[in-house]
Amino acid sequence: MAVKKIKTKDKHIKNLATIVGDASSILYQKVDLLAYECDGFTVYKHSPKAVVFPKNTNEVSALVKYCSDNQLPFLARGAGTGLSGGAIPLNNEVIISLVKMKKLLNVDLENRLAVVQPGYVNLKLTNSISDKGYYYAPDPSSQSCCTIGGNVAENAGGAHCLKYGVTTNHILGLEVVLPNGDIIELSENGILDVPGYDLLGLLTGSEGTLGIVTKITVRILKSPESKQTVLAYFDRVDDGSQAVSDIISAGIVPAALEMMDKTAIEAVESAAFPVGHPRDIAAVLLIEVDGIAAGIDEQINQILEVCKKRNVREVREAKDEQERASWWANRKTGFGAMGAISPDYLVQDGVIPRSKLPEVLKRIEQISQESGLRIANIFHAGDGNLHPLVLFDARIPGETDKAILAGSACLQACADVGGTITGEHGVGIEKREEMRFVFNDEEIIAQTNIREVFNPKNLLNAGKLFPTPGRCGEIKQVMKEATTVS
Amino acid sequence: MSLREKDLGKGPACTTMKSLSNYLWSDHPDEKKWADCTHCGMCLESCPTYELTGQEQHSPRGRVHLIKSVAEGKLEVNSHFMEPVFACLDCRACTTACPANVDVGGLIEEARGQIRQAMPLKGWKGAVSKVFLQGLFPHQNRLNSLGSFLRFYQKSGMQKVIRKSKLINIMPQHLVEMEAIMPEIQPSVRQKYKNENVIKAKGKTKNEVAFLTGCVMDVMFSDINDSTINVLTRNGNDVSIPQNQTCCGALHVHAGDRDTGRKLAKQNIEAFSGAEKVIVNAAGCGCMLKEYAELFREEEPEWHEKALLFSTKVEDISKYLHDTGFEKPKATINKRVTYHDACHLAHGQGVRNEPRDILLAIPGVEMVHMQNSDRCCGSAGIYNITNPEMAGAVLESKMENVPEDVEMISMGNPGCMLQMAIGVKKYGRNQKVVHTIQLLDWAYQKEDGIEGKDIWQ
Repeated sequence: MAVKKIKTKDKHIKNLATIVGDASSILYQKVDLLAYECDGFTVYKHSPKAVVFPKNTNEVSALVKYCSDNQLPFLARGAGTGLSGGAIPLNNEVIISLVKMKKLLNVDLENRLAVVQPGYVNLKLTNSISDKGYYYAPDPSSQSCCTIGGNVAENAGGAHCLKYGVTTNHILGLEVVLPNGDIIELSENGILDVPGYDLLGLLTGSEGTLGIVTKITVRILKSPESKQTVLAYFDRVDDGSQAVSDIISAGIVPAALEMMDKTAIEAVESAAFPVGHPRDIAAVLLIEVDGIAAGIDEQINQILEVCKKRNVREVREAKDEQERASWWANRKTGFGAMGAISPDYLVQDGVIPRSKLPEVLKRIEQISQESGLRIANIFHAGDGNLHPLVLFDARIPGETDKAILAGSACLQACADVGGTITGEHGVGIEKREEMRFVFNDEEIIAQTNIREVFNPKNLLNAGKLFPTPGRCGEIKQVMKEATTVS
Repeated sequence: MSLREKDLGKGPACTTMKSLSNYLWSDHPDEKKWADCTHCGMCLESCPTYELTGQEQHSPRGRVHLIKSVAEGKLEVNSHFMEPVFACLDCRACTTACPANVDVGGLIEEARGQIRQAMPLKGWKGAVSKVFLQGLFPHQNRLNSLGSFLRFYQKSGMQKVIRKSKLINIMPQHLVEMEAIMPEIQPSVRQKYKNENVIKAKGKTKNEVAFLTGCVMDVMFSDINDSTINVLTRNGNDVSIPQNQTCCGALHVHAGDRDTGRKLAKQNIEAFSGAEKVIVNAAGCGCMLKEYAELFREEEPEWHEKALLFSTKVEDISKYLHDTGFEKPKATINKRVTYHDACHLAHGQGVRNEPRDILLAIPGVEMVHMQNSDRCCGSAGIYNITNPEMAGAVLESKMENVPEDVEMISMGNPGCMLQMAIGVKKYGRNQKVVHTIQLLDWAYQKEDGIEGKDIWQ
């Protein structure tokens, strides 16, 4: 692109542009900023002050220091595919976009690790090492475009986290720019810092409120020798849920165990990657096992048996890699597919004990009826991670609020059975208030106290993750008392 | 601690929408198209301009968001809005990636229509657009004259003189690059067959088809049109070339000139009204013909139904041959070939395997996989002329994916052929750029013992 000139009188914009070197690395015109007013969570929209594109850690550090010194709110953004609003500039933030820091810095097969910049896209890592027989395990559905930096911020999960764990289980080291601009390195050379506090664990999933990650060392795994996938159709959701419990009880640890209900099937079959699921089915299970080739057949047979016992209508194995891939494409584009049956959707992210699946699904059905809004369910059934998708039309006055309430009620239902409010999407803006379903005031204060240490001015991604005092007088009061005491 | 839990003022949930659209002309961007977009971001990595800039206003979902924002009254139709909308290659890769099948290309074209009405092109850009889009492409006789001139330019020695004298360098760099790869111009098939109602099938007639010869194709690549006719007649098709057919209008619609697009669409729909099958060998044209109905959504709706019917008859040559069957050539062409998916064939028409199957049917052809074969080459109609810098960057990453050890790059679109030929020359490569059907025709010719093609040496 041609070299642009800065056309503004705003001194901050001029200074930020100087830090990143040229005018094509900063956006500040209204139309450009509008493209950054939300991420994958579209219920709230706010325009940023500017978007800057640093090329290296030093530039990130300089930008952060400038913002901190000048009391400018700021936040980090990757591909902006987050589903809880973590990258929405609620306070007219300066957005530090990390998409130009997208290099794969090092692959060390011997020590099974890779070093990437935060803007590196998740799936690219697997694609670049698969020919050598390795892969990166965390596989959020958006893996073809989401960045590993964003995955660290949200502690992203994915379909295969049942067996392999979420992002935090795969992070070996981080370089972080703290909210004052200081650069720290956590666990160098892939050797975990065992002594001292587990800062790596703290930073992972901190939703961009404690620092900005600028370099990530991740664990890579040997690709399984063999994998097989089974599709099972059930006429009753209860039977499908029971089958999920039975599979786990049988001692099988599938690599993935996914479920979609009737409304979700309607969406994926109306969208871009249909595979011919029957429309009249109550639930479809997608079950994948992987590992040493010798054990696969036995596990598959066990799974087929369990499904038959639970009155499965039809159950079959993928006949080839192409069919397996088509089933996964169909599943992994499930959220976006909602666009084909509804103008807007809001996806929730509750976690429940597996045994409570039928009970919670019934409650969600009730919530749908009470609110008059359709709710589709796509979930990682194996680890009890539900994704109720509330379908609505933002153009109808009041319907967005209704959807927010219905989503919140779904999370309440999860919390009521001993579950929690997020498994992998993060709290962001969306679930701030719902934090109170699972934490009491003291527990929330214990957490905000930690943020205070890292982010004392609260300029970095403020207003996310915790309930806002504006809407929660009680907490505000308690917190005031707590500070007076300290 | 004063800032500890700064009261942030919760933003209102966006339940209200301004009814005041800033699209002031009819035929405005279709709300139904953006209603399907959930802003999930699955399109991002498919987009060449996002890949290069990393900026979301240059991404599919960003553009959809901006187009929607104008309808919601949050943005004006002005030069700031124009930039991202016109920087789109219209390559449709996002449509393939999108889980909800959002027609981003359609929205972009509709938005360009609004922009061009709000801010008509002025100065030299306006003049160039007028000369080429309105003054040249829609007029068969002028295209013929251009062809004659280019032939004269090549044959008379003028080309040599101009190249030698460096006079050529007064043109912008990308035009110099284009001149350098200009194929040898042959007489157009429209002229050649102007007195023949039907070119009869060799042997028994199985089907009757009508052939859209295209404008750029027939001037620059009339040999490919010849090949197309040879291949069709050899496989039992009577071929007619309706003489009142015209330019498909794709370049006009891409540029936001939807009025001319409609004019050309109507002329073609009429010209081919007697045809059962309309065969196209240029992906960009085929895609446009299939989408004519979009032009008549609001304007002249009485044509909408006719356009829909027409679109069902249109088929790319490779798909048609593949589906109706074709004779496997017996001669051998020992070449290593890679295939480039033209955007408007792969993303626009969903034709991916058919051309590959045709190539594989030629004895001796060894297919070599190209990484990201369905990534745009940067030609994108006249994008390489209007946005040379971005087009150049897109071409560079395309060329990085062309395998080193192949002798030919095959494809199904003339724009791509010109662009890829520029790439081959610019990056010091030595591949021959061919049309899929051309290669099939050469195999037939070799089988028939026709001399004169150095290709199978």
